[in-house]
Amino acid sequence: MSGQGAPAEEARPHVSVARWAADLAMGGRFAVTGGRESWARTIMTAVGVGLGVALLLLASSVPHMYQQRNDRGDARSTLSFGDTQVKPGPDTLRIADADTTYHDRDIDGTVMAPDGKGTPPLPPGIDRIPAAGEMWVSPALKKLLDSGDGKLLRDRFPYRTIGVIGDGGLSGPTELTYYAGISPKAFGHVNSSQHLDHWGLENKGKNEPLDPALLLLIIVGCVVLLLPVLIFIATAARFGGERRDRRLAALRLVGADIHMTRRIAAGESLFGSLLGLAVGAGLFLLGRGLASGVDVWGISFFASDIVPSAPLALVIAAAVPALAVVVTLIALRGIAIEPLGVVRNAKPKRRRLWWRMLLPLLGLALLLPLAGGFGAGTGGGGDMKAYQAAAGAVLLLIGTTALLPWVVEAVVERFGGRGSVPWQLATRRLQLSSGTASRAVSGITVAVAGALALQMLFASVQAQDSEDTGQDPNRAQLMANVPVSDGDQARDAFARYRATKGVSDLLGVTEDYVSDVRPSEEDPSSIGEEAITVADCPTLREVVRITSCANGDVFLVDSPSYYGEGEGFAKPGAQVNLTYDEEGIPNLKEKKLWTIPATATKVKPRQDPAGGERTGIFATPAAFDVANLPDPDASAMIRLDPKVPDGIEYVRNASVALSPAMDVMRLSSSSQSDEFQAIRKALFIGATATLLLIGASMIVTTLEQLRERKRLLSVLVAFGTRRTTLSWSVLWQTAVPVVLGLALSIAGGLALGVMLLKMVGQPLAVDWSGLSTMTGIGGGVILLVTLVSLPPLWRMMRPEGLRTE
Amino acid sequence: MTPAGSLLIAASLHKTYGHTPALDGAEFSIHPGEVVAVMGPSGSGKSTLLHCLAGIVKPDSGSVHYNGRELTALSDAERSGLRRGEFGFVFQFGQLVPELSCAENVALPLRLNGTRRKEAEARASAWLERLEVADVAHKRPGEVSGGQGQRVAVARSLVTGPRVLFADEPTGALDSLNGERVMELLTEAAREARTAVVLVTHEARVAAYSDREVVVRDGKARDMAGAR
Repeated sequence: MSGQGAPAEEARPHVSVARWAADLAMGGRFAVTGGRESWARTIMTAVGVGLGVALLLLASSVPHMYQQRNDRGDARSTLSFGDTQVKPGPDTLRIADADTTYHDRDIDGTVMAPDGKGTPPLPPGIDRIPAAGEMWVSPALKKLLDSGDGKLLRDRFPYRTIGVIGDGGLSGPTELTYYAGISPKAFGHVNSSQHLDHWGLENKGKNEPLDPALLLLIIVGCVVLLLPVLIFIATAARFGGERRDRRLAALRLVGADIHMTRRIAAGESLFGSLLGLAVGAGLFLLGRGLASGVDVWGISFFASDIVPSAPLALVIAAAVPALAVVVTLIALRGIAIEPLGVVRNAKPKRRRLWWRMLLPLLGLALLLPLAGGFGAGTGGGGDMKAYQAAAGAVLLLIGTTALLPWVVEAVVERFGGRGSVPWQLATRRLQLSSGTASRAVSGITVAVAGALALQMLFASVQAQDSEDTGQDPNRAQLMANVPVSDGDQARDAFARYRATKGVSDLLGVTEDYVSDVRPSEEDPSSIGEEAITVADCPTLREVVRITSCANGDVFLVDSPSYYGEGEGFAKPGAQVNLTYDEEGIPNLKEKKLWTIPATATKVKPRQDPAGGERTGIFATPAAFDVANLPDPDASAMIRLDPKVPDGIEYVRNASVALSPAMDVMRLSSSSQSDEFQAIRKALFIGATATLLLIGASMIVTTLEQLRERKRLLSVLVAFGTRRTTLSWSVLWQTAVPVVLGLALSIAGGLALGVMLLKMVGQPLAVDWSGLSTMTGIGGGVILLVTLVSLPPLWRMMRPEGLRTE
Repeated sequence: MTPAGSLLIAASLHKTYGHTPALDGAEFSIHPGEVVAVMGPSGSGKSTLLHCLAGIVKPDSGSVHYNGRELTALSDAERSGLRRGEFGFVFQFGQLVPELSCAENVALPLRLNGTRRKEAEARASAWLERLEVADVAHKRPGEVSGGQGQRVAVARSLVTGPRVLFADEPTGALDSLNGERVMELLTEAAREARTAVVLVTHEARVAAYSDREVVVRDGKARDMAGAR
C-alpha cells in the first residue's frame, strides 16, 4: 500500500431512482441492524443532531415568543398616545403604578379605584376590579407570598387576595405582579395617577426601527449562537465514521461499487439525522414544558409561546438531513474504500492559506464601509446595511474557523516531533488528522470569537450608558420621595422612617416654593420664585456648605444666573409670599408673608447624597414652621444599619404604609442598564453552553479515536509505556487545537469587535474580563475532555487488547 | 534442556479467560541467546503463554522467574519498567504507531526510557540500517510495505538491547520471501546480542529458525525432543 492514494474515480454509471432509494434504504438498515455498535453510532449521531435541532427549533421560536409576550404586554398597557387625557367619568378607572422590589426581584403593581359607579375597564387576566383592600396576584407572586421567603413581603400588601391573575394578563409565568384596590381618598397619598377608559394600546402605530446597536447585536448574536450548532450537527454526523468505513469496505468485497458505497453511507447518515430530527423535536417539546418554569432575569415565557416559525421549522427539517448527507459525502472524499480495507490518502493535500484568508478579508471588506454609518440609512438602504453587516460578520467568523486547520497544521509541522514523547505522539497524531480535531474545535472558535466581539460591543455601549449619578451611597443608601399634602405630614413621615427597623439615620428635607411679594418690574406678568428647604442642622450640613448651624438659623444659596439677571429677591430681611393658587401660581392677592431673618447667611450649595444640588432659602425648623408650606415635597435620604439584614425591605414596607404606590430608590454611584447586564450574562451563558456542547462532541471524537486504537494502545503497554505518557498525549492532543482555536478566536473576536464598535460609532474598548473568562472556560473544556477520556484510555490500555482469539 | 542456567523460567502456569482455560499447568524455560519456538494450533494458549512470560498478563497461578525475580510478585509499574528495559516485542500486525515516522517508532522505547531524542534517533537509524530499511526511516507506517513495517518493528524490539525478545507470529502477515528475510534478520541480530527469543508461531518454516521447539496444546506446554 506504499504511497497509495485514492484511486481515480471511475465513470459514474446511470443510476435509477429505485437504485438510489434501495441503496439509501440499505444504509438506513445498516444504521440499526449492525448490532450494538451500529446502534451506539446511530444513537450518538441522533443525540448530537437532536441537541442541535432542539436548539435550532428554540431559536426559530424566538420571534413568536417575543410577539406573544409583547402582545400581552400591549394588552395591559396603560400608555396613551396623543395629548388627550382621559377625564374621570362613571366608567373610568383611576390607577397608579405601585411597582416595588423585593430581594432584588421586581414586582409590577397597579393600585386602582373606579371613578364612578359605572363599568370601569377590566385589565386582562382578572374578572372584576378589586375593591379597596383587595388584590389580584400573579401565580408567582402568590407562591412567593405563601412561602417562607415571602414572609417580609406580606407586610407590604395590606390587601386580601381575591384571586390569581390569568395567563392573558401576564407577560410570563414567573412574573411577579398584582392589581390592588384602594379607596379614592388614598390617591391623595400617591405621587402621580391617571384615569383610564380602556386597557391596552389601541393604535400601536408603526413599529419603530430598532436601535442600530441593538440590531447589530441581534444579527451577530444569532450568527454566534447558531453557527456552532450547525458545526456541532456536522460533527455529530461524522461520529463513528471510521467504523462505518470498514463496514463499507466489506461491502466493496462483495461487489458494491464506489458510488454505491457512498449512497449507502449517505443512507446511514440520513437515517441518523432523521432520527436526530425526531430526537430534537422530542427534546424541544420536553424543554418547552420545562421552560415555562424558567425565569432568566425576570423574563419568562409560557410553553404556549414557544412555537417555532413554520417556514423556519421546515427549513430545519430539510436542511439538517441534507447537511448530514453532504458532510458524510465530503468526509468520504478523502478516503478510498477498497475491498481489502479503507485507505486514507497517505499524503493529505497541503492546506491552502489563500482561500482561508479570503473569507475573513471579505468579511472585513463588507464591514469596513459600514464603519460609523451603520443605522444612518433608512428604508431599503438600512435593510441592505443589515444584510451587509450580517454577511460580513458571518464571513469573518467562518473565516476564523476556516483558518484553524491551516494554523493547527502549520504549528504541528513547526513544533511537532520534538520535545517529550507525549508531545511527539500528540503532534504527530494531529499532523496526520488535524482536520478531525480542528472541525470539533471550530465550533469553539466561532462561539468564543463571536461572544468576545459582542462582549466588546456590550462593554462599550454599557460604559457609554453607565452614568455617574452623582449619588453617594456612603452618605445615604436609600431615597424616598414622600407624597405629603402639608408640612405636618412630612414631619410624621420622617418620624415613621426613623422608627423603622434597620434605619440608623435619616436626612429629611421638606421643600416648597415661595414667591416675591410683587411682580417683576421688567415683566409685570412674571413673579419671581425661590425654593425653600426646611431641615434640621445635621441634614442641612449634607445639602449646603455650612460651618456652624443652630436651630433657628437660615441660610441662602444664590440661584444660578439663568434664573435672571442680578440678585434674586430672597435676601436677608426680605419678605416672601407663601401662598399659591390651585394652578400653582403665586397668589399675591391673598399673600401670606414670611420675613427672611436679617441674620440669614449666604453659603455655597453641596451635592446631597442623592446627587441633587439645591438653591434658595434653607431654614431650620425653629426658623420656619413646615406647617406653613402649602404643598410641600418631602424627601427622605435614609441611612441603613448594616447589621440589620433586610433593612431595605423594612423601609419599603414602611413606605407603602405612607403611600400605597410608593417605592424607594437605592442610591448608587453609577447607573447601568439592567438590560445590557442581562444580555451580557445571557451571552456568557450561551457561549459557555456552546463550549460545553463542543466539549461533548470532542469527548465522543476522542473516545472513538481511542477505541479505534485499542490494539495499538495494548502494544504500547506491552513494551512498557506508562499511563501518564499516554494521558499527557491525550491532553496535548486536545489542548493544541483548542489553544490555537482560542488564540484565533481572540484575534477574530477582537477584529470583529473593533469593526462592530466602529460601525455604531462607539469608542474602542476591550473587555478583558470577558476575554479571560472565555479563555478560562476554553481551558476548562480541555481539562474536562482529557479527564473524561482518561478512564476509557486506561481501560483500553489493558493487555487484553493483544488477544486475537 | 533443563531450567538450570535459564534466564526465564515458568512453572505450573494456569490462566482462564471466563470459563475458557488458556493455560493449564504450562512449563517453560529459556537460556540467554536461545531461540525457542512456541508452537501449537490456533487457540491452544501460545499467545497467553507469551503474555504471561512477558509480564503483560498475570497468570491465575504458577510462577514466572526472570533473572532471579518472580514476575508475578512485581507491581504493574515494575513489570512495565522491565518490559521497557529488558524485553522487546514483535507482534503480527498493528504495532507501529501510525502517526510517527518509522525512525520515531524505533526510537520510541528508548525515549520512553528517558534517552534523549537525538541519541535515540541515531540508535534507531543504526538499527533500521541493520534491518535493511534505512530508506523508510522518514516514512510513516502507512506508507511502507508489510515486510518493511515488520522489519521496523523488529528494529524497535531490539533497539533497547533487550535480554528477551517476545515475537508473536512475527511473519504471520507476510509472504514467504519477506517472512524468511525478517526471520533471518531477527534471529541473526538476537543471537549476536545474546538475546533470548520466545517465538510464537504455527508455521514450521518459521520454527525452523529456532534452537528448540515447545508445543502448547490444551494449555499445556511440552518440550519437543530432538531440539535443534
